[in-house]
Amino acid sequence: MSGAQAQQLLLPGGCPLWLIDRPGAGILSAKLWMRGGSSCDRSGQRGAAQLLAGVLSRGCGDLSGDALADLVEGCGAGLRCEAAEDGTLLSLKCASSDAQALLPLLLLMVQRPWLVEDQINLERQLNLQTLQRQREDPFQLAHDQLRGLLYGDGPYGHDALGVEADLRTLNRSQLQELVGAYGQAGAVLVLAGELPPQAQTLLLAGLAGEAWPCAAPQRQAGPKGLKQSQLACSQDDTEQLVLMLGASTTALGAPHALALRLLHCHLGVGMSSRLFVALREEHGLAYDVGVHYPARLGDAPFVFHLSTSSDRAADATRELLAEWQRLLDQAITAEDLELALAKFRGQEALGRQTSSQLADRHALVLGHGLPFDFADRSLHEAAELSSDQLLQAARELLTAPSLSLCGPASALQQAEAVWQRHSLSG
Amino acid sequence: MPEPRRHQLDNGVSLVQIELPQAPVVCLDLWCRAGSAWETSAESGLAHFLEHMVFKGSEHLDAGEFDLKVEALGGNSNAATGFDDVHYHVLIPPAAAPQAMELLLDLVLQPRLDDDDFAMERQVVLEELAQSEDQPEEVAFQELLRQACGDHAYGLPILGRREALEAHTTDAMAAFHRRHYRADRCCLSVAGPLAGLDLERHLRESPLAALAPSDHNSAVPVLQLQPGKQRIELARLEAARLLMAWQLPGAADQDSVMGGDLITTLLAEGRRSRLVEQLRERLRLVESIDLDLNVLESGCLVLLEAVCEPEQLDAVEQQVRQVLLELIDTSPSEAELDRAKRLVGNGYRFSLEVAGSVAAMVGNSQLWGRRHNLQRPLEWLEGWSTERLSQEVIPLLHPDRAYCLQAVPA
Repeated sequence: MSGAQAQQLLLPGGCPLWLIDRPGAGILSAKLWMRGGSSCDRSGQRGAAQLLAGVLSRGCGDLSGDALADLVEGCGAGLRCEAAEDGTLLSLKCASSDAQALLPLLLLMVQRPWLVEDQINLERQLNLQTLQRQREDPFQLAHDQLRGLLYGDGPYGHDALGVEADLRTLNRSQLQELVGAYGQAGAVLVLAGELPPQAQTLLLAGLAGEAWPCAAPQRQAGPKGLKQSQLACSQDDTEQLVLMLGASTTALGAPHALALRLLHCHLGVGMSSRLFVALREEHGLAYDVGVHYPARLGDAPFVFHLSTSSDRAADATRELLAEWQRLLDQAITAEDLELALAKFRGQEALGRQTSSQLADRHALVLGHGLPFDFADRSLHEAAELSSDQLLQAARELLTAPSLSLCGPASALQQAEAVWQRHSLSG
Repeated sequence: MPEPRRHQLDNGVSLVQIELPQAPVVCLDLWCRAGSAWETSAESGLAHFLEHMVFKGSEHLDAGEFDLKVEALGGNSNAATGFDDVHYHVLIPPAAAPQAMELLLDLVLQPRLDDDDFAMERQVVLEELAQSEDQPEEVAFQELLRQACGDHAYGLPILGRREALEAHTTDAMAAFHRRHYRADRCCLSVAGPLAGLDLERHLRESPLAALAPSDHNSAVPVLQLQPGKQRIELARLEAARLLMAWQLPGAADQDSVMGGDLITTLLAEGRRSRLVEQLRERLRLVESIDLDLNVLESGCLVLLEAVCEPEQLDAVEQQVRQVLLELIDTSPSEAELDRAKRLVGNGYRFSLEVAGSVAAMVGNSQLWGRRHNLQRPLEWLEGWSTERLSQEVIPLLHPDRAYCLQAVPA
């Protein structure tokens, strides 16, 4: 990426290692990205990828969970292991001077985790409790419900934390099997910051010469979404109605994905964005309004979200649907396109401030089987896109949105009536 | 570490600049002593409402024009209202920083406060209030502060009371702005690659240089947290909460703030911290337990939140109590202190990587008359021993000094 010195190496066994040198601050960030997140949870094992990720740091190699925590926290470092939809990510952030003590942990955790029964049970219990607590948040409820509409029982159809019934039955041997598969679908390791000499040697230090058999992540098709308009309502005793209107679209790096990214910038980035101005500034219908469009290996969701007082449910639904319809009816103006581009560039610049951000972005891109300089290329390609191409992308990918509602009964009724009368409801 | 460069305008407004040559953006951060603690009772919510209205334009800028200009330059802006102060910040590519500064100062210091915009934005603020009231956890925290802080401003919601919001007028808001956005109550902080920008020169003709000083001095009373205990039922709560609040010395004593940071880290950051280890890892009574230090001018607040099953609440409270009493009884070990120092020190160093957080740190310090450099907090950190913690900070966290709120699902 521009400005940063990068070097590519290969670990014994095949895992690509990227080194991004940013001397000065004395900080080191390491990200190990392994393909196979919650979308690879098997039937009846939803939540396994996250449960395993949580247990990785609870003992590995010669270190018990306590000893590992003592080492990491004793260095004042941050270590996180989390499963997302498309991969499991291990993140380490520390003072560069602690690299010798901490870098060996990364491969040790994925190759020699203890998976102690008692610690699995603890982690399971915590995940179950988190799933329960999340239901306090009406946004989470609407989000979960929309996920069902967009992905059904497909690979993207559940929260990475899992599903209660499955989570309760997961056992150690199932997790052990998943550990054996780590890296086989692709993995990549990115180090950014003030790099220690011999970073590669340090990474391998715990393994006594044993190689980690793994492949560089290849470009491949990811999970699909459903492509039909649906409505789902969930009654909740809240003041506001939460509305989420969205469609499953396409993968990061796919044709039209960049056009959708520019539409995202146009609609949802900053206080001059279309949804902010139309729904908040012009109508005062919401405080929080925006667009959710995460990077995915498969059909990423593209979602408008807002919450509004119950008595204004009909207005808000009407306006939100009108904004979606607008995307399909007309191309954005040349000025709006230019503004969207400026925001895209601005976001890229702001996302490269810290070593962690740099490592994170590159790990994600490489993990998707895309080239190291993907972000820079996207900046150039985005500048070439026309408003007509944005319109074409919308017409191809956004024609059949689904609506998820969460709120009091009266508001649901009003919103549903508006939806049923609108042509987008199919 | 880069040294802050300080400059004072003729009217007393200060500018503080930090050179971060590697940063991709400049952060401009305008601070003002105009948080909710400066409101009269009738003005409830006005400080925050004003922060919203500022973005509705000025004498020279139409509603939304500021955002449009800043974002077209590849930047972004935001603002935050706290109890003590409010700040407005812009992240912008370096070359556009002088222009962004001019726009920002015009916007914040000469807001238009149009009646129609006001009526519309009131709706937005009421939606913000409704949104927070739909989060039972936020409702529980608000109740904790209300009970613990009594009549002090820290016990009142920053968003304001609904009836008060519905009654506010542009005149009242203009009066609040006139009273608090004054030369001796504002400062501008800038961090990023600043070479060649010559912001001082640009400032001389700005509205910041034209601000008059306050007519008279005023102060927010010192917080006096009332220990106590209460149990409430909340609709839509799924898991029970144990919430506790303690008071520590105010932000003016930064050395003591560092002590507070150390002890909260020692107690509740990481698996090997005392509370997490005992309550989550060993006894498995909680889903999570957090202890946060809220740095405030009239008295810092340490807030504890434990998430658990309702039937475990009493056991959780008992265990928290026991952990604290043990710590009061026996000083922490050197290893524990060392661990906490590394965590706090690294957290601080990590935060220096971002122009926005550097600008916020030096801006907030400058606003409240604290003129230490970026190295100083690390020296304070090293000055803490286990003995000093045991003498000066740990006794303040005695469970009997806390306000304790149990919230259970209705």
